[in-house]
Amino acid sequence: MTLAEELESYLPAGATLRFGQLQLSRTPEGSFVACHADDRTMLPKLEEIDSISGLRDLAKCDGSGEFRPLKTAPTLKSGWKTQSSSAKDFLRRLDAIYPGVFATWVAYDRNEHGPTSLRRTLDRQTGMYRFAGTITDQMANRIMRELCSPGCLRKIAWPLNDQCIVSKIKREPMSIPVICTEACTFAISRARELAKEAYDRENAPGN
Amino acid sequence: MPVSKPDCALLILGHGSTENPDSSQPSWDNADTIEKTGQFGSVHCAFWKEEPSFRQIWPMIEENEVYIVPNFISEGYFTRQVLPRELEIEGHTTIRNGRTIHYCDPVGIHPAMTGLLIKRAKEIIDDSVKLEDTTLIIVGHGTNLNQKSTEAIKVQVEAIRASGEPFADVLDAYMEEAPFIADWQTLAQSPTVVVVPFFIADALHSFQDIPVLLGIETEPTAAASQREVFRQNPYRFGDRTLYYSSAIGTDPSLAEVIVDQVSYFDEHYRP
Ligand code: SF4
Repeated sequence: MTLAEELESYLPAGATLRFGQLQLSRTPEGSFVACHADDRTMLPKLEEIDSISGLRDLAKCDGSGEFRPLKTAPTLKSGWKTQSSSAKDFLRRLDAIYPGVFATWVAYDRNEHGPTSLRRTLDRQTGMYRFAGTITDQMANRIMRELCSPGCLRKIAWPLNDQCIVSKIKREPMSIPVICTEACTFAISRARELAKEAYDRENAPGN
Repeated sequence: MPVSKPDCALLILGHGSTENPDSSQPSWDNADTIEKTGQFGSVHCAFWKEEPSFRQIWPMIEENEVYIVPNFISEGYFTRQVLPRELEIEGHTTIRNGRTIHYCDPVGIHPAMTGLLIKRAKEIIDDSVKLEDTTLIIVGHGTNLNQKSTEAIKVQVEAIRASGEPFADVLDAYMEEAPFIADWQTLAQSPTVVVVPFFIADALHSFQDIPVLLGIETEPTAAASQREVFRQNPYRFGDRTLYYSSAIGTDPSLAEVIVDQVSYFDEHYRP
């Protein structure tokens, strides 16, 4: 099945799904509609965004104009809707808001895209990020607690290291899971900062 | 030269930024332009610092043959180490899980860049200005960390000189190494000078740092006025006139260079 066909089967005519901060629905006639979940009761009144570049622009900044480099931050603007009669085109619209999130879920669910442990991701880094892998497990937990939990809608699917066993994320009814199969650039940068702080502490004069 | 590859995907790789919302725009614009031509089955972008990331991109691509073009200005640490590692590819062609992945050269080293730099310089100067009275300066970052981009600029300068275009002179200059762009008034002898930044995006360097070094801004401009700096051409310095272009990577013709890199791959590296 292509990704567009998968999306079509997730969202049969008349169905409604939650996808991150989005509400996805399909009209009885088969058209696909997406809006911010906060706006779900006022669909007819919403301004329509009818281009992929328009949706990319929407996802670029939050309500106060701050840049959103992490597209799954819980700060998507509301007040709009987008619709399409083609599943392929609708998927491209969703990708403009949540790039690759649907494809990642489908591949994970089909066991075609396994998660990468945090240690593996950090140990792979070179250049200015090469020391990120020296963080302790405690620091790794701190990243998840301080960065991922409040700042990102993705559910973490990766283990801390290759020896940890994590259970597979299951799809809840009426939703498409938003998952993280590998730590992102923000987590790697944060690991680098924590590693550097620890190194500086250990090598401070008098130590 | 257009290609016809409806069964292949094109993947454009960009650096992206966690701070500057304009950094990924040239890659998206080029992807949209190429997509509309229908030359590929699908066109994607992936970024080092934005989403979709290099690590997130594979599930999104459904074609079994993929051409990857790095939207980078030169070969070096990123194109040789970071991108292949993150995408899990090796050499020119990788075959993995039934998929054939071709890794093209970065856009900045394609011979067509020379014509693009000349076109850009001619476009921004006024019609009344003679090329014989104009020095073209290609500006880059410089520093030992990025020796490859310095080399790429020197190659372009030589190629423009050899092209027969009647510029009074063609020079290279850098932000952080000699010849310094801050010395443009002594480097160039002609009455008119046109400066083209050899960068992919109008990021901090081209709209904040270089304008200060050129003397057309006194302090780095606020993000909201990013584009203004390119709209106020020409700038007068006594009897000298300066034209300042936006980054070469923002030129719409770069979409053609991306496709040209795919053709170049087929001609030179295809197994
Ligand atoms: S590591 Fe994953 S869950 Fe954490 S912020 Fe990055 S994308 Fe979100």
